[in-house]
Order: sequence, then structure tokens, then C-alpha cells
Amino acid sequence: MDNDVIICRCQEVTRQEIVDAIRDGATTVDGVKRRVRAGMGLCQGKTCERLVMKIIAEETGIPMEEILPQKKRMPVRPVKIGVIGGQTDE
Amino acid sequence: MSKPDIIVIGGGVIGSSITYYLSKMGKRVLMIERRDNCSGSAGASDGVVGYHTKKPGLQMELAIQSIAMFDDLSQELGMDVEYRKNCGGMQPAETELEWKILSDIVKEQRKSGVDIYMISMKEACKIEPQLNPDLYGALYSPTSGKVNPLKLTFAYIRAAKRLGAEVLYNTEVTKVLVKMNRVMGVETTKGTYYADQIIDAAGSWAAEVAAMAGEDLPIRPRKGQLFITEPLGHFMDVTLQCARYNVIKFKPEAVGDKAVLRMGASLSIEQLKEGGLIIGSTREFAGFDRENTLEAMEATMKRAVRFFPALRDVNIIRAFAGLRPFTPDGLPILGESEKVPGFFVAAGHEGDGIALAPITGKLMAQLVTEGKTSYPLDAFSPARFRKLSEGSIE
Repeated sequence: MDNDVIICRCQEVTRQEIVDAIRDGATTVDGVKRRVRAGMGLCQGKTCERLVMKIIAEETGIPMEEILPQKKRMPVRPVKIGVIGGQTDE
Repeated sequence: MSKPDIIVIGGGVIGSSITYYLSKMGKRVLMIERRDNCSGSAGASDGVVGYHTKKPGLQMELAIQSIAMFDDLSQELGMDVEYRKNCGGMQPAETELEWKILSDIVKEQRKSGVDIYMISMKEACKIEPQLNPDLYGALYSPTSGKVNPLKLTFAYIRAAKRLGAEVLYNTEVTKVLVKMNRVMGVETTKGTYYADQIIDAAGSWAAEVAAMAGEDLPIRPRKGQLFITEPLGHFMDVTLQCARYNVIKFKPEAVGDKAVLRMGASLSIEQLKEGGLIIGSTREFAGFDRENTLEAMEATMKRAVRFFPALRDVNIIRAFAGLRPFTPDGLPILGESEKVPGFFVAAGHEGDGIALAPITGKLMAQLVTEGKTSYPLDAFSPARFRKLSEGSIE
């Protein structure tokens, strides 16, 4: 695969940047994310997570099923601050 | 690597800073990290590099030295740590009582010569136009700044690696080897490593590591929950905390609401370079739990809307939480164990690890290599708690 191809569309992170993060020590999706922001954008890795895992597997030889996906956190999808905290402090 | 001079346990911002300054002094350093750099608290933090959030006295004195070091850091480390000097720090008060408590803290803080003062809401809104004008008044610290904690940590460890430091990832220390009351090395999940000096920089987990060496540390994890918004255009410059932030930190007895006190819920908000806002935060004793709760999200979002009404229509895209290493007196523990010579501790910075990382690394590197420091660390020694519990008067 061409290393210039964008893997994380939200943060515009290329395959090369992800490979560099792995060579810097990342062996998990979160490790890649903290180094190059892949998965930190609006979709929170919904698009790129599997691709990042695949690149980690290719680069490190760790089997795909042993690579940790990113830690799942709320909210499941973007939610307006006013929905959670806007009602009583008018 | 053949036998290193020093083993640093923990790859957070403190361990990475220490590893860098030791490497710079020509020492051979092996860092042992259970998971990855920034996988603990350094990767789950905001980036406040402020004077105004520091406890008057010793913590402030450390902060002044540390913040001065940020000026040339990107250049020195060869990587942009996104330090924004003089972006300012602000703490609006909601009531006259909060204003008075803040004013008293400011008087004490100013004794260290820092530029912090109280301003009216009119002045505050001139600096931050998005701020709700219907508040009481604000503390303002024009020379405070902010940094990207992830970049800071990675910049330190990458610079250290270039100077010859080695890092073992996914490697957990299982035993500290002590012989004739001196440290010898560590056993890990990946083998045994020997060094005459070991530094415990394991943050919230530092007490567990210290216990392996027979040292008691009163460090407890304190959970802080944070929330990230979608990217926005320019929204604010300062790092802003509500007055309750400093009140909870320095005068918890003045907080009446029990739920607020239990969660340590106050507002802390700053805009990241990429445009998102990072909104926090809580200070909860919940063991090593790092999950988010709806209760904390609701408490934090209510305060966000109270201080910045326009945030009502902004989306939250992510929640996260980190553990702040709490100590009973609010000061970090920096020094050598009296019980086990060769075993050093650099942990317990609670919510100030990012801002205090440069000076912590520099002073610990001096202490370990030269046995003395350019700024006295006596008040930060691990032994101070033992003396307290034995009831002696220092």
C-alpha cells in the first residue's frame, strides 16, 4: 500500500505517520493515536481503527487478534453539551 | 544495553523528563514501562502550565523554576511541544465568598513574585468575550501558559533515546531487588535488569512500586474525568478554571455541597491547537478505576454552560479519565529513600505533573548523579510522612 494514503480521514493521518508511530514503540491503537492523532477526530476511530490494527500487525508481526483496539468511551456519538448540562443553569 | 547506570520505572511525563536530563548528563538510562509512554496519566491530562493553580509556597517556587524551562524546550528537545507562553490563566468566581477565598490565595501566591491579580467581570469579558458576564469577578494570571502533554512526554523520551537511553515497553516490574539494604536491580516480566540506582516515577502506581522496595508512600490515585468537544474556530485563549477549582484544591473545607466535594467537580477548560476544547474535571477517590460516569459528565457540562453559555450547542465527542497521584500534603515526593539507599522516588504531583515535569527531571537528575541539587528538596523527601506519623516536630 502507498504510504501517502490517508488512513485516518478526520485527522488526515497518512500510513507513513502510522508506521513511524509504530517504529517509535506503539503496539496498540491507543499508542498510535497518542503519537499521531489517528482516531482522535469526529468519528473517534470508527473508520480507521481496523486499518490501524492491520498496519500494526504488518509492521510488528503481532497477530491481529492480539492487538488492543482503542479504549471505548462515551459518548457513542457526538452529543450537544446543552443536552447533558444545559437545562438547569439557564 | 549492558548494565545501565540508572533504571527509571514509568514512562509518563515525569519518568520521560528524568530520563532525558539524566541522559543529557551522560548517564546510561534504562526506562521500564508497563505499557507505553503516555498510557497512564500523561496521556489523560489537560495542558495547564500555570502559576495560578499552584499552592502558595514550595509548590509555587518549584512551578516558577519549571515554567521558566518551558521557554526553550521545543528547541532543546528538537520537537514542537506546542507550548503557548502567556496565553493566560483565569478563574472566575461565582460568589463574594469565592472571590474572598481566591483573593486570600492570590495574596499568598504573590509573595513568590508572580503576576496574579483579581479583575472585574468587565475586564474578564474583554479578555475572553465568550465568558458569561453574569459572574462575580475573576483571578487573572497573564503569564500562565499551556502545553500539549502528549507532545511534551514524547519529545522528552525521543530526545533521551537520541542521547542513548533505552526503553522497554510492555514490561512490568514485578520485584525490586534489594541486597544489604541497597537496591541491585529489578525483576520484570521480560527478565532481570541490574542498576545501582532506581527511580520510581510510576505516578499513581508509585506506591505499589515502592512497596516492592520496602518503602511506604502515601500516594493514592485520584480520578479526573475530562471531555473533548468537536473542533471549533478560535474560541478562547486562556486556560480557565472556575474558582471552585482552587477552593477544592487548597481549601476543601470551604466547599458546602457534599456531592461536589466527593466528585471534586470543578470546571477546567482550554482550547487545543486542533480547535477542540478539553473540559474537565473531577478529583475523585475511586481506586484505580478509570471509567467515565454520567454523573461527572453532567456536573462538568452544567458548569461549562454556566461559564460559557455558547457551549450549549457544541458537541462532546469523547470522554476520558486519568489518575492523578495524590499526596496528603499536596506536594510531590522527590528524593532518595532513607530505608533503601539507591531507591529514589519522583511521584505524587497530582494535577501538576505536566507543569512540574521539567524541574522535576532536572533536579532528580542532579540528585541521582551528584547527590545534591540546585534547589533544596528536603521538604519533598519521602521521609517527611514517616516523621509526621511518628509525631516528631520538624
